[in-house]
Amino acid sequence: MSSAMHTSSIERAIRALLITLAVLFFMLPIFWLLTTAFKFGRDAFAIPPKWIFFDFTLKNFQDIWTSTETPRYLLNSIIVSIGATTLSLLLGVPAGYAIARSKSALINASSYFFLLLLMIPPIAMLIPFYLVMRNLHLLGSYAALITLDAIFDAAFVVWMMRSYFQDVPQEMEEAALVDGASPLGAFMRIALPLSLPGIVASALYCIIFSWNDFLFALMLTSPKTKTIPLGIMASFSSVEISWGKMAAMSLIAIIPALIIALFLNRYFVQGMTMGSTKG
Amino acid sequence: MKQRNYLVMLLIISILFVGLLAACNAPASPTTQPPKGEAPAAQPTEKPPAAPKPAEKPFAGTELTLASMTDQYVTAFKYLIPKFEEETGIKVTLDELGYVDLYQKLTADFVAHTGNYDLMTMDIVWSGEYAQNKYTLPLDDLMARDKDQLQMDDIMPVAWTLGEWDGKHWAYPLAGYANVLNYRKDVLSEAGLEPPKTQEQLHEYAKKLTKPDEDFYGIALLGAKGPAVAQDYMVWVQQYGSSILDADGNVAINTPKNVEILKAFGDLFQYAPPGATDYWWDQRETAFRSGKVAMMEGWSIARAGYENPEISSVVGKVAIALAPVAEGVEPKYGFGGWGIGINADSKNAEAAWEFIKWLSSPEIQKEWIRHDGAPIRRSTLEDPDLNQEYPWFPILLEAFDKGDGDYRPRIPQYSIIQDALGTTVNAYLVGEMGAQEALDQAQAQVEETMK
Amino acid sequence: MRPKSNRSLLFVEKHYLLLLAPLLIFVAAIAIYPLFFSFYISFFKYRLTDPNQTRTFLGIAHYILAIHDKTVITAIRNTLVFVAGTVVIELLLGLGLALLFAGEGRWMRALRSWLIIPMALPSLVVGLVWKSLYNVDFGVIPYYFKQFGITMGRGPLGEIKWAMPSVILIDIWQWTPLVMIIFLAGLKSLPHDPYEAARVDGANRWQSFWHITLPLLKPSILIVLLLRTMQGFKVFDIIYATTSGGPGTATTVLNFHIYTVGMVFFKMGYAAALANILLIIVAALAILYIIVLERQQI
Repeated sequence: MSSAMHTSSIERAIRALLITLAVLFFMLPIFWLLTTAFKFGRDAFAIPPKWIFFDFTLKNFQDIWTSTETPRYLLNSIIVSIGATTLSLLLGVPAGYAIARSKSALINASSYFFLLLLMIPPIAMLIPFYLVMRNLHLLGSYAALITLDAIFDAAFVVWMMRSYFQDVPQEMEEAALVDGASPLGAFMRIALPLSLPGIVASALYCIIFSWNDFLFALMLTSPKTKTIPLGIMASFSSVEISWGKMAAMSLIAIIPALIIALFLNRYFVQGMTMGSTKG
Repeated sequence: MKQRNYLVMLLIISILFVGLLAACNAPASPTTQPPKGEAPAAQPTEKPPAAPKPAEKPFAGTELTLASMTDQYVTAFKYLIPKFEEETGIKVTLDELGYVDLYQKLTADFVAHTGNYDLMTMDIVWSGEYAQNKYTLPLDDLMARDKDQLQMDDIMPVAWTLGEWDGKHWAYPLAGYANVLNYRKDVLSEAGLEPPKTQEQLHEYAKKLTKPDEDFYGIALLGAKGPAVAQDYMVWVQQYGSSILDADGNVAINTPKNVEILKAFGDLFQYAPPGATDYWWDQRETAFRSGKVAMMEGWSIARAGYENPEISSVVGKVAIALAPVAEGVEPKYGFGGWGIGINADSKNAEAAWEFIKWLSSPEIQKEWIRHDGAPIRRSTLEDPDLNQEYPWFPILLEAFDKGDGDYRPRIPQYSIIQDALGTTVNAYLVGEMGAQEALDQAQAQVEETMK
Repeated sequence: MRPKSNRSLLFVEKHYLLLLAPLLIFVAAIAIYPLFFSFYISFFKYRLTDPNQTRTFLGIAHYILAIHDKTVITAIRNTLVFVAGTVVIELLLGLGLALLFAGEGRWMRALRSWLIIPMALPSLVVGLVWKSLYNVDFGVIPYYFKQFGITMGRGPLGEIKWAMPSVILIDIWQWTPLVMIIFLAGLKSLPHDPYEAARVDGANRWQSFWHITLPLLKPSILIVLLLRTMQGFKVFDIIYATTSGGPGTATTVLNFHIYTVGMVFFKMGYAAALANILLIIVAALAILYIIVLERQQI
């Protein structure tokens, strides 16, 4: 695209202004969150707002680290994220490959089934799932949360990996098939290594989805399996506005998001846009 | 070349997570259960002889989970639990939950019989529901058995409403709150006013003290959709001598009297900070503590916090008075607070009962008060040391003596009433509905749900 | 190229089925069965908090109740307003941002990676942050508005007419970067030739944007519509964190209402019926989108 061909200085100034405004709009709330985590309560809701000059404190972090169950929340979030990601990759990647390579209309049509699955509003799935888990006495277990997360994760992985495998050149696989390898072998030895970037992108999406999930965790966890977002809710008190503690807890909750957005953003973007250029 | 990069990335991620895992494992070790059998812990009598316990610690090694509202008394729990653990060898895990989440999580735990929580703080208004559904263990047998240790005569009569229903005790009194009027001594005396004795005066003074230009307001109120606004409205219903139930105990929300009261309650919001229709307890308290308002009716447990300079800008400027009632209404004071109950599905009921007994004993009660707990015993309220530290205790004692624990109907359907009012009263305050319409809809909603 | 005989084709397809099977079984067990169960239970009065745990058969009474339930109607309307509002604004704003940030300089790339942070954050955190920014007595936004002489009454989340736009703004903040990125990818893959031709013909930049860029971006636009509509119907965390559906019922979306009915009051039968209604609305839209997408590909 070539939009900046004959740019006058006025236009460049407007452009710079718009860019600045956009960056401010998207970054200030995050900046507010970062600074609030290091503020005392009275500075957090001081009027006029204290953006830069305030008494720096680590009190909020000390509070959440010593007096609540933060380490456990963290551990649970990690277990659930890794569990759900692993499960959905194990199930979703082969399925995505099968759909990408198969000539059968039935198998191809199943990709739309997964797309539909992806669109189901979580609450519509949660209500019956909750009842089923209740009957199985699995409420509050890691398994319940991981399986439900994995449904939505896996449906995404299939869709993502299908379009990824479609882009991977097929010649080598076909040569292997002609040489007598089984499709399974071709998948394991040839397609899988070639599609690593796609798998990374899918994995990042799954990790973020499970890590950020609140609704499922709200309903399916017990005190022993609570995840970070629930920990954030526990940092609220009924006696004072506790933005500081909330912000400190939130900072912990957004660590993976920050790492991924800043250092792995290429893969993450690929995952989020879901092969969108091809439709 | 490129693929190696991806592999490195993957490696980094996994190392990061493994690192976090390892880092978190250490402090979380108590939860990953120290070497001990699962079942023996539940039944202390079946303890393997290999681990002989001193006789005075019969429950050592038992693990209890306590679900607590994130109210002020959480601080006291955090202070006292380690002492209890040391004395008894019982391990208590505290799970803090906000008001809505607590109710929701507990109900989920009860109806699924998962027994996640052994002990729970129970809002006074849940008594009927918990009793009807037998969510918590009736404590009467235990109380009768241990009556010599409990000194129950000393507990304020009104405090028993914190868990009593239909003649049985479904929770033990934990923290008694009186609805009192907090006011700014400096502001009122500057305006030449005495603390208001009646609701009419409260209105008049609130109006007089409101100065929007200076960002200063007469009164702080709860207006946020949900339990907050419903409960505050019911306070005003009580203060005007009306009720949510009729004489036969049927739900009668939309009486003409209650509509009038709703209008009066709504009028007060003119003299409250503009955000008050969105106030939850935390924001109302912050508004008062930050020195934005002159008066606030609220639970007595918050009183001590106004003298804490870390969180309050009004240290030394606050006094409390009995909550004003409307002219001609016999003074009775809203009583609320929390009981502590034992989950009917708990496998550790005896150990949980130990905790309740220990916590409610007069000696521990003094520590409980000093760390932001709330009183249940007459001896605590009359204790000379505590009266020195908390000079407002006589007012509390009077409010407790004339306390009304039933102004919010503690019937099994309470949460339905609260949910209906929580939406419609808020809708009235923000102008979505008329007063009559709001209460009509609440009434219809409750009747529909109770069918 | 492909395997020669029919027999070996079958052999290959069997293997593909084998690769697909585990997921299909998993989904059938974990997702399909509950959905059928949800359909079944919606015909019963089933309250988990009922001490006797009785299920009374009601037929379609729950569905009839739903159409007459004022809150449900409001919730459906609010959901549609939310979805329409977020999708349209994010689409336009995202396209604008994509054009603005299309450069390939080092700075541009750095800025872009900063801009995608919001969409990686937990929606709950996003909601809580904005709730504190919106707070009328202690928050940043009303304060600056007041400095400019605009008082916000009960605050952005407290006024009936402002609550929904304020919640929509939060969603816009979090998800416009995603739309931007989809459009950036779309812009990158545009061919150069039509622009050259247009320039030769003397078209100005606006004309070439309108007549060339927009039509060529149609696939991206469709993807944005699809993604954002579907995610809009899933909104829950933001509402939970900010307004709980208030003031009054101004921001009660269907998701939140179902949550309240089912997970706070445990009226499972009715909640299931409402969930099914939501499911039907979403499925209808989804199928429509899929048909359009299919057409597009041909």
